[in-house]
Amino acid sequence: MSDFESSGKSSPKTTLTAATPAGETIQTTATQQPSLETQSECQAAIESLFHILTSIPPPHSSGTVLLHDPSISSQISTLLRHPDTGAGNHHLCRWLYDTFLSSIPELQLLVLRYIPLVAGVYVTRVTQVRPLAGFEAVLLAVYAHEATSRAGQAISVRIPDLSSPSIYHESNVPVENNATELNMAVISSRLEPHGTVRSTKRARIVGVALEVYFSKILLMPVGSKLDFCEFCEVWAGQDGDMYRGGRAAEGGRPRGGEGDGGGGEMVEGGRIPLPWELLRPCLRILGHCLMSGENKELYDKASGACRCLYARALHDLDPMAILAAGSLLKLMKMETSSDDFDTTEMAIVKHQTC
Amino acid sequence: MPELAGLQRERVKWCVSRYMLMPGNQSTASASASALRDLDEGMGVKEFCANGIAIKTTEVEAKLDEGNIQEAESSLREGLSLNFEEARALLGRLEYQRGNVEGALRVFEGIDLHAAIQRLQPSLTEKPSRKARSLTDSVHGISQRAAGLVLEAIYLKTKSLQKLRRLTEAASECKSVLDAVESIFQHGIPDLQVDTKLQETVSQAVELLPELWKQAGSHHEAISAYRRALLGQWNLDSDCCARIQKKFAVFLLYSGVEAASPSLSVQIEGSYIPRNNLEEAILLLMIILRKCCLGKIKWDQSVMEHLTFALSVCGQTSVLAKQLEEGRPGILNRVDRWNSLALCYSAAGENKDALDLLRKSLHKHERPNDLMPLLLAAKICSQDSLYAAEGTKYAERAVTNAQGIDEHLKGVGLRMMGLCLGKQAKSSSSDFERSHLQSEASKLLEEAFVFERKNPDLLFELGAQYAEQRNLNAALHYAKRFIDATGGSILNGWRLLALILSAQKRFSEAMVVIDTALDETVKWEQRLLLKMKAKLKISQSLPMDAIETYRYLLALVQAQRKSCGPLRSTHLADKVNEFEVWHGIANLYSSLSHWKDVEICLEKAQALNQYSAEALQTEGTMCDVRGQLNEALAAYINAVLWEPDSVPCKISLGALLSKMSSNALPVAKGLLSDALRIDPTNSKAWYWLGMVHRDDGRIADAMECFQAAAMLEETDPVESFSSLL
Repeated sequence: MSDFESSGKSSPKTTLTAATPAGETIQTTATQQPSLETQSECQAAIESLFHILTSIPPPHSSGTVLLHDPSISSQISTLLRHPDTGAGNHHLCRWLYDTFLSSIPELQLLVLRYIPLVAGVYVTRVTQVRPLAGFEAVLLAVYAHEATSRAGQAISVRIPDLSSPSIYHESNVPVENNATELNMAVISSRLEPHGTVRSTKRARIVGVALEVYFSKILLMPVGSKLDFCEFCEVWAGQDGDMYRGGRAAEGGRPRGGEGDGGGGEMVEGGRIPLPWELLRPCLRILGHCLMSGENKELYDKASGACRCLYARALHDLDPMAILAAGSLLKLMKMETSSDDFDTTEMAIVKHQTC
Repeated sequence: MPELAGLQRERVKWCVSRYMLMPGNQSTASASASALRDLDEGMGVKEFCANGIAIKTTEVEAKLDEGNIQEAESSLREGLSLNFEEARALLGRLEYQRGNVEGALRVFEGIDLHAAIQRLQPSLTEKPSRKARSLTDSVHGISQRAAGLVLEAIYLKTKSLQKLRRLTEAASECKSVLDAVESIFQHGIPDLQVDTKLQETVSQAVELLPELWKQAGSHHEAISAYRRALLGQWNLDSDCCARIQKKFAVFLLYSGVEAASPSLSVQIEGSYIPRNNLEEAILLLMIILRKCCLGKIKWDQSVMEHLTFALSVCGQTSVLAKQLEEGRPGILNRVDRWNSLALCYSAAGENKDALDLLRKSLHKHERPNDLMPLLLAAKICSQDSLYAAEGTKYAERAVTNAQGIDEHLKGVGLRMMGLCLGKQAKSSSSDFERSHLQSEASKLLEEAFVFERKNPDLLFELGAQYAEQRNLNAALHYAKRFIDATGGSILNGWRLLALILSAQKRFSEAMVVIDTALDETVKWEQRLLLKMKAKLKISQSLPMDAIETYRYLLALVQAQRKSCGPLRSTHLADKVNEFEVWHGIANLYSSLSHWKDVEICLEKAQALNQYSAEALQTEGTMCDVRGQLNEALAAYINAVLWEPDSVPCKISLGALLSKMSSNALPVAKGLLSDALRIDPTNSKAWYWLGMVHRDDGRIADAMECFQAAAMLEETDPVESFSSLL
């Protein structure tokens, strides 16, 4: 039978067509033993982080450990949400920027973990007159990294056409006239280099940072995804409780930032323009949060965010967004109403356990 | 150790006393399953039965409960004359069914299942020749059942391990089931001759393996397992296959694991090979839908929803529309289908088709009061003055029906109504009606703003509406607020602000706005701003600066045309082309009376677009000023013939005619009135209409026209406000 290649060895085709949104440079986990130089660099970065957090680093802390350490992430979150954060000389922003540039995969992942928070706080604060260069630097670093690894290529999808055969189905049409006539869909256009965040390009830069985040979402802790869902709701700026299936809205929560650790500065406003280049990665991340079945809390938060985005799509009368967010909403409803039985279970046992 | 191959000689079954089955019966397994069920409900008595002997399970169970596996096993072996593996397999199954997975595992671990499989192989690979079918068939059938028993034992071991959360072990056991099947049936599982029980085990194992890898967190193994399931010859039934396809598609869409392309060994030349997750997921979902449409499997709405998500995330809603259209009638509610199709078409930019569908679904016999279709229809209508009146009705209906769950959409309804009325005003035939509609429109937009406080789009629309009405102070207020609310991220916001300032003749401020906007835009998206900048320079009487700007714009456009790959053009929102630049420069030179340069520029422009009314109009103007009236007349007439709705051409022609002869005054009047019908705020048209009235001796009319022209000129922007839309 056919032997399939596992992740490591992709066929030459895939690498040519830039199928992976993020480049190969961020490895999923540090599988190979890091060199001594990298180790010391890593250690230095971690030490400087703890210096900023004014706490003592626990022994044996590495990037991977810090990624999943709830106390560290809550400290960093609190700092990032603080009203004064975001200026160009802010220590934590600087640290995130420098660390991402270090090109050590496990540290880059650690920075990516905070991308939802950085993007969320940044975009909601844009309309207020505040220095935000620190946030911008972090987002630009991620953007530039991605621009380099995509090497001027757009990410595109060839939409299959069932009239010609594929590996999963046969077709009686002779095999000749396909491949060229396939419908090409550009899902992320090629990335221009940006040295600063121009306001008309803000959504694109944040969107690309979120695309990078999505490409590593498997390795992200739940807390980071929860941050993302929280900001999705804020960005939508629309209450979605009426789409809570069947049940009446539970005592209409106040909109905007609710008890989010970082003070009430996000209560006002928050709704941002959601062009497709920003909304698209948001919807993909939300899709992951809803469907991966990772965690009940995440599911609840993501479904809330999804309802808000759907309401927002209706207010904008944006057909694409209505379709995408609407389909997630319908899938959520189907999931709660369906009684999936395990088809891999023995018929008799199924009966006995009833 | 007894030979397991001995099974071939014996009928081994596991069924219930009253349902003894015929030897070689293909439906053994399912019949026994259902038989047990019946009995279970009736009396709760179960028996092992093999080789014509039956033993009550309770006796064996008692031994098992004491922890005596060996005794239980030997009592089975003796009682039913079974060999070691068979007895163990049956015992394990009993334990598993009793819910004692740990016990089952202990029993299964006692057998060397893999050795048993090895011994099974040669007997099965001796493929029966077709001629001797009747003879070999029964032998084959029995050996299949023997294989079935062993494979089931491994499978149950897998399930036990899964329930104990020892997932990696479970996955590798499950994999061994598939490996065994592959080595036993080297040419794929035969379609007709296979034992049902065996097939059931195989199908279940095929379906379970990827789920186990997923649960174990080995995502890439899961992908391989999915592909192995779908590409191997497992003789799966349609439902099972579709289930696996759906699970795989869902995994590809949402898991965040990037799958590598399928390996070259499975690729058939010329067939479509997915390169990435989205492609593979879309392909699978389309295949499932196709099967639904052909009636091979039950309709599954969730497949449609997954596909909707996948395709809309790719921006390919026209493909989605095709999928929706292929669905058999009766599966989807037709109104739902129309609405979904309308969304697809509208997202793909085919608003006319979308509107046709929405009209159907909003028909009084269908669902005339659905909010989303009403609002979408209103929005589409608001973009075309031909449909604006229709859109107003939809929006009105939306406002009255915005109740309950849809109450939050009331503001959207009001907003759409305002937009439709504003559009309606543009095609209105009388001044009175127009100003009434315009003030209604701005009133509705203000009202909508009460509901939609946080929606910056409304700020823009209010600004644009007031600007159209030449209520420039109000317009300026909203344009500024829009820039603040969007953080300057929307290009049109900057353009609106600059236009309003230019209408107020605050050119230097407008210049500052444009320069800021240029700073906030990347080079490739600066065309519209640069064009406006050139016009501002002209208004500031800085023709040399304007020419400099045009020159830069031209270089930009040309560079962009050259670097423009097939994929680039799709996301370029602004549409200033080379022709427009040349034409703009020609107009500029024409105003400076640099006729030689005008000619050169016009030549360039006409090389790009031979049949352009605008170029002809400039040419006419040049001839007109130089005194070549007949040439000018010919140019204007041609221009009007090519573009009957071109306002500048009509005005020029009307003006020229009125200058040439008093006999032509009625024609000139007709042309100018026509121009004003299309663009009621055109100060030049009012001016020339005034001239016509004056020459005809209607002094009072002439005065009114001049007054209108003067008032409008005071508030003329450098470009028409409608160029924003």
